[in-house]
Amino acid sequence: MSWDVLLHYAPALIRGFGVTIACWASGCALGLVLGFAVALGAEAPSRALRAVLRVYVEVLRGTPFLMQLFILYAGGPSLGLRLSATTAGVLGLGLYSSAYFSEIFRGAFAAVPRGLIEAAMSVGMAPFDILARVRAPIAFVAASPPIVNTLIVMSKETVVLSIITVPELMYEMQTMAAETFTAFDAIFAMAVFYWCLVEVVSRIGRRVEKRAAAFLVSHA
Amino acid sequence: MTKPMIEVRAVGKSFGAHQVLRGVDLDVAKSEVVCLIGPSGSGKSTLLRCVNFLESYDEGEVRIEGELIGYELDKEGGRRPMPAARLRAMRREIGMVFQHFNLWPHMTALANVAEPLIRVRGLTRAEANDKAADMLGRVGLADKAFAHPQRLSGGQQQRVAIARALAMQPRVMLFDEPTSALDPELVGEVLEVMRALAAEGMTMLIVTHEMGFAAHVANRIAFIDQGRIVEDGPPKHVFHHSREPRVRQFLQTYHDRNAF
Repeated sequence: MSWDVLLHYAPALIRGFGVTIACWASGCALGLVLGFAVALGAEAPSRALRAVLRVYVEVLRGTPFLMQLFILYAGGPSLGLRLSATTAGVLGLGLYSSAYFSEIFRGAFAAVPRGLIEAAMSVGMAPFDILARVRAPIAFVAASPPIVNTLIVMSKETVVLSIITVPELMYEMQTMAAETFTAFDAIFAMAVFYWCLVEVVSRIGRRVEKRAAAFLVSHA
Repeated sequence: MTKPMIEVRAVGKSFGAHQVLRGVDLDVAKSEVVCLIGPSGSGKSTLLRCVNFLESYDEGEVRIEGELIGYELDKEGGRRPMPAARLRAMRREIGMVFQHFNLWPHMTALANVAEPLIRVRGLTRAEANDKAADMLGRVGLADKAFAHPQRLSGGQQQRVAIARALAMQPRVMLFDEPTSALDPELVGEVLEVMRALAAEGMTMLIVTHEMGFAAHVANRIAFIDQGRIVEDGPPKHVFHHSREPRVRQFLQTYHDRNAF
């Protein structure tokens, strides 16, 4: 290990790690919101809307994230969409993860016992209140373990952003490796950063899951 | 003669090729208690669910105090689904109690009762909590207000569910096998609440297998078999003097067990 090289590049690496976390957090926040909306849209009476959303999910899940980023960043300008690398990266991650999150929410909504919804209908509650007060809280509990899992997967997908020159951790790492011929050190340092991130996320995730489970033990 | 509280006329319903209800007629007058009995799969729960339109019906009419539920008639004599807001307004007046209680598991007993008051009746949370606490007291659960459903016994959960429905001050109460999911020793506490409600003059339509309760509390018993009401009369008549072979055969198993 060449500690002096690592020390020299430490500020850049830490800055890169910060960019990674920022892109990951904002991309996933966007993905959760979009995914929730897509899952709700999948219940719409309009057959056309449902079909469009189906295609949306299938395309985003069925093609490589790298390709989607290229299309967004490099192909965007020809459609009049000129995005900075970071904006394209966050937007791309948001779209990509929204496909996975929407499937999680769809499954979680389907798992809400029908009787709980009928109870709300029988007292005359409106659809929005039934969603906000009954369906969504119960669905979120069911969805929390797969959401944490997908968040972890997405944290590692952020390395792909380096390809479109987002100055995140992988990008800084490659710069260091290229400038100093220390490929092993660079990869080792990167592994440590990611492992720390994943460890923190899964610890928080376990606490969230535990609280969610206590909030809702079992139901008929 | 005032209009019946519930008026079911020639109601038919199919699930695909299977005809569940075949021209059902049934009236429930104000303050009357009617029990629907019959073998499983006979259509009694489906009929009950048609009354608040949780289940749609294909033919005939269901009226609540004279108002058609679920549909509105157009000028050509056809019918179309009634506006959702109007259906919700009608459902507010019809309380329903389910076999599996269907309490919201993420809310305390108190919140289960208060929630519809806030969302539907427009009460503030403080007003709704006061009223909910009163209702829980009426079903003997004042001390369980802050327990979540999973901490309550089946009998207690069902009493909370009854309190939730009653808090809305419905004009009619529907019960869909309210004691069928309960351990035998917990059935009594639920029936006791229902008996008290009947004594107060609540209009009740009850799907049940509790023949003893039906015999003592109901004003009328309607027996359904294969989607048709084959007997409808006072308990004494249905239980002891029916000439219908299906009724006699069905009740024989209860006679054998000395249920009433």
